[in-house]
Amino acid sequence: MVKRLLAWVSILLFAVFSLYPIVYVISVSLRGDNAFQTQSLEIVGPNSTLKNFVSLFTETDFLLWLKNSLIISGVTTFAGVALASCSAYALSRYRFRGRNMMLFSLLTTQMFPATMLMLPFFIILSQLHLIDSFWGLFIIYSSTALPFCIWQMKAYYDTIPRELEEAALLDGCSRWMIFTKIILPVSSPALVITALFSFMSSWSEYVIAAVVLQDPQLYTLPLGLRSFQASLATQWGLYAAGALIVSIPVLILFISISRYLVSGLTMGSVKG
Amino acid sequence: MRYYLFLLITFCSMAAQAEKLRIHVWHQMIYGHRQVLAEVLKEFEKQNPDITVQATYRETEELRSGYQSAAMGGSGPELVYGPSDQIGPFATMGIIRPLDDVLGADYFKQFDPLAAPTYNGKHFAIGDAVGNHLMLIYNKKLLSTPPKNSDELIEMGKKATIDKNGDGRVDQWGLVFNYTEPFFFAPFIPAFGEDFIKNDVQPNLNTPALANTFQFILDLRDKYKIIPKECDYETANALFKDGKAAMLINGDWSWGDYKEAKVDFGIARIPMISGTGKWPASLVGTKGYSLNVNMKSPKHQEAAVKLLMYLTSTPVQLQFAEKVGILPSNLDARDSDIVKNNPLLKISADIMEVGHPLPIVPEVRAIWDSLRIQYQKVLAGSLTPQAGAQGAQVLAEKQIAEMNEVLKPDAGAYVLKAIFALVILGGLWMSRKSLVAFIKGFQGPNRFAYYMMLPAFIGIFAVIVYPFFYNIAISFSNFSLRTFQDWSLVGFTHYVNAFSDPKFYSLFLKTVIWTVVNVFFHVTLGVFLAVIINQVMPFQGFWRALLIIPWAVPQYITALTWRAMFNQEYGPINIVLQKFLHLSPIQWLSQPTTAFAACIITNVWLGFPFMMIVALGGLQSISHSLYEAARLDGATSWQRFRHITWPLLMPVMVPAALLGSIWTFNNLNVIWLVSNSGEPGDQTHILVSYVYKAAFNLYRYGYAAAVSVIIFLILVIWGLGMLKSQYQKETK
Repeated sequence: MVKRLLAWVSILLFAVFSLYPIVYVISVSLRGDNAFQTQSLEIVGPNSTLKNFVSLFTETDFLLWLKNSLIISGVTTFAGVALASCSAYALSRYRFRGRNMMLFSLLTTQMFPATMLMLPFFIILSQLHLIDSFWGLFIIYSSTALPFCIWQMKAYYDTIPRELEEAALLDGCSRWMIFTKIILPVSSPALVITALFSFMSSWSEYVIAAVVLQDPQLYTLPLGLRSFQASLATQWGLYAAGALIVSIPVLILFISISRYLVSGLTMGSVKG
Repeated sequence: MRYYLFLLITFCSMAAQAEKLRIHVWHQMIYGHRQVLAEVLKEFEKQNPDITVQATYRETEELRSGYQSAAMGGSGPELVYGPSDQIGPFATMGIIRPLDDVLGADYFKQFDPLAAPTYNGKHFAIGDAVGNHLMLIYNKKLLSTPPKNSDELIEMGKKATIDKNGDGRVDQWGLVFNYTEPFFFAPFIPAFGEDFIKNDVQPNLNTPALANTFQFILDLRDKYKIIPKECDYETANALFKDGKAAMLINGDWSWGDYKEAKVDFGIARIPMISGTGKWPASLVGTKGYSLNVNMKSPKHQEAAVKLLMYLTSTPVQLQFAEKVGILPSNLDARDSDIVKNNPLLKISADIMEVGHPLPIVPEVRAIWDSLRIQYQKVLAGSLTPQAGAQGAQVLAEKQIAEMNEVLKPDAGAYVLKAIFALVILGGLWMSRKSLVAFIKGFQGPNRFAYYMMLPAFIGIFAVIVYPFFYNIAISFSNFSLRTFQDWSLVGFTHYVNAFSDPKFYSLFLKTVIWTVVNVFFHVTLGVFLAVIINQVMPFQGFWRALLIIPWAVPQYITALTWRAMFNQEYGPINIVLQKFLHLSPIQWLSQPTTAFAACIITNVWLGFPFMMIVALGGLQSISHSLYEAARLDGATSWQRFRHITWPLLMPVMVPAALLGSIWTFNNLNVIWLVSNSGEPGDQTHILVSYVYKAAFNLYRYGYAAAVSVIIFLILVIWGLGMLKSQYQKETK
């Protein structure tokens, strides 16, 4: 009984710990002009207003940023899932020269401080005339999330019994058909996770977007939000309202697929 | 399918629109000014129907780094607008062009000399306004006349610092300002005797004047208690706007903000220092337009020059003066009624009289940085004012030397080139069989695998591997401020420097602590919560979803939110500490240890859900029969955890922890945003944030690249070790 009580207490404590910052952002977004400055802990005070949300949609380019972000994240997710699922399948099922080397080098790509790649990125992109275009971001975003996604997918494929494919091979299926008709459908948890990671990496990425996109018509949500944050006069209310709306799609995604998340993230490592 | 077609069409139509001559301007104007800019640009487009102007707002630091990389890549906006202190670095890098030959020597005579600064004898920018200087702003409701000298300041400040409800918390402050930032404290230094820069270039920091200034601010805070213990720009601004501060030190750019907040304010000189009888000298500068060296065509250049002349012309300047109240740089405009009848501008001009021009040489950046580091250490109590002043001089000299260093290729360069050649040739020779096998593989029995992998690996190669080698090349080069356009390989100097710098080892130690503490909490909290959810809680899905939330919020939002929550005055953390636990507030962000702790807390919040999910997955794959058997044997719950749960979880947690520690080791976002780029005094850096600062703030690209290669090697060696020991364990 005591144990049960302790468990409840600690989980409630952590629920508060994980929710409070969000609540705080909500409360800032509801405050009027002098946004983050109050010494009261009230979430909805007497002066609360939805003004920030209204002006977010009516006075700023928020909808445009939202559209851009959706296009970029959508394409990135699609490309990321396609690339990762194909190459991970090859790494899982075939043995060839350099396979171990490739697996290890995928891991090592995570070890280099990413910010230092920015300078070379920029030089390459500007030589290819990909500055100020979504193509540059598609390429960067879908590739940077790849190493993790490939590892993830490979671990999952490893758990799928080979007998499934061998039977199909005997029946005269082509490799490609086996992959699309048999393997992909049973890998949905891992596919969902790969999609989630690709989506997240592009949805909230800021540093690279700031360098690549120079035209405000092409701004993504993080870039747009950043423009509320001048070095000397931040519009905290607008920023908080925007931050909330940016987080909501990811939150919904996470919560709705948290079931897949559990199996997709660990399946490979448990059995592999 | 229809959706992709739609996308394709959108792209094509985007490409087709770019017919008109399009001129880009990057600026960092604050909100009110941006609106005026939009209006005047609309007017310009009306007058010049063949030109469209694209004005892009960028935050000051971002404008700087963004413009640098854009110009280096041969592109960037035609016009760039910013404070005059960026002219020095830009001109040194050769990414803005002298204006003398495009505009003619006489053109500059119509401006206040401050607005047409020269660097190496040439004009690189024209300011549209003069000012940008600090002054004392006071709330007329709380203070009828401003203090004239520092004694009066202290006396009035004490009177205005009030705890209204007697809870031991000050509700109204005498004076507030962003005093941890050297720019806001610099005016006092000359008032105590000597300026902090000699001959425009040399740091003059080891002076009694600087030590006394340090002491003065400390006294305001600790002895007279008229300024808050922690006060950044936001806090100062907020307190003043709320009528919770009688006086504020801020610049002319902020007037609009206070007018909008309906504060009845007056402005005055920063009070004279009673002991010396000198006025604090605000740095007076200009913000202006510069021309990019890279132009797409002569037509673009022509249009850009036209725009530049328009934006600095009298009518436009008057429009700015009228709407946002800044002092025009154009001498004709000064005579207009708009300027003459503006009482604020009149007093402002009087304040400027005791000001000093803002130096524009790139060295100033190193001086500011050293001053900031030492000053924040003094404020945190880890240095005496004298030691602080002494240290600032040493540090500034060192940083200037490093910044200006142009390394000459030494013998190492030849060795290096030889090694490169050997490695490439040797690599080709050694892998010739693999290469052949690889190419043949496209026809062999495994060709399916090859085609499946090819697209992903092309992507990874282009985006990660190639830039990575590019970086290795930079790490052996003299790429820095003065060799921005033509760097060359010079040898191993940066590596030697990195390894012989004691700072590197202390940073490494801090990074290890950061990683270990974070990963420890991530894993233990994750496993702890997963066990509870899995074994005790009803509605598992609900709790899982609830605790996943921190993971779903984008990192940059999290980091800034936590920074606001740690705020000394307004942060809910301190308010809770005081109201409910009756503890004294903690100065989270101005003490090195607590600031580092704040970063760790933020990162723990961010990271535990990932580990929890992984652990949950691991737990769910453990079969129940094991537990039942253990229970029958009479095992306690601790024994069950120790002998069943833990060993079966290990294979799941170890790879996750491995990856987690790599991510944590390289996590720049949290440290950079929560501690506001390493504050206080550069003492919260870990290796990656230090690298970022060296490259993007101090222009030491070569050095930064070398340190990041070292980081990479550390992680590879450590990762290999971990994998190996893991592998051995599994095969036993």
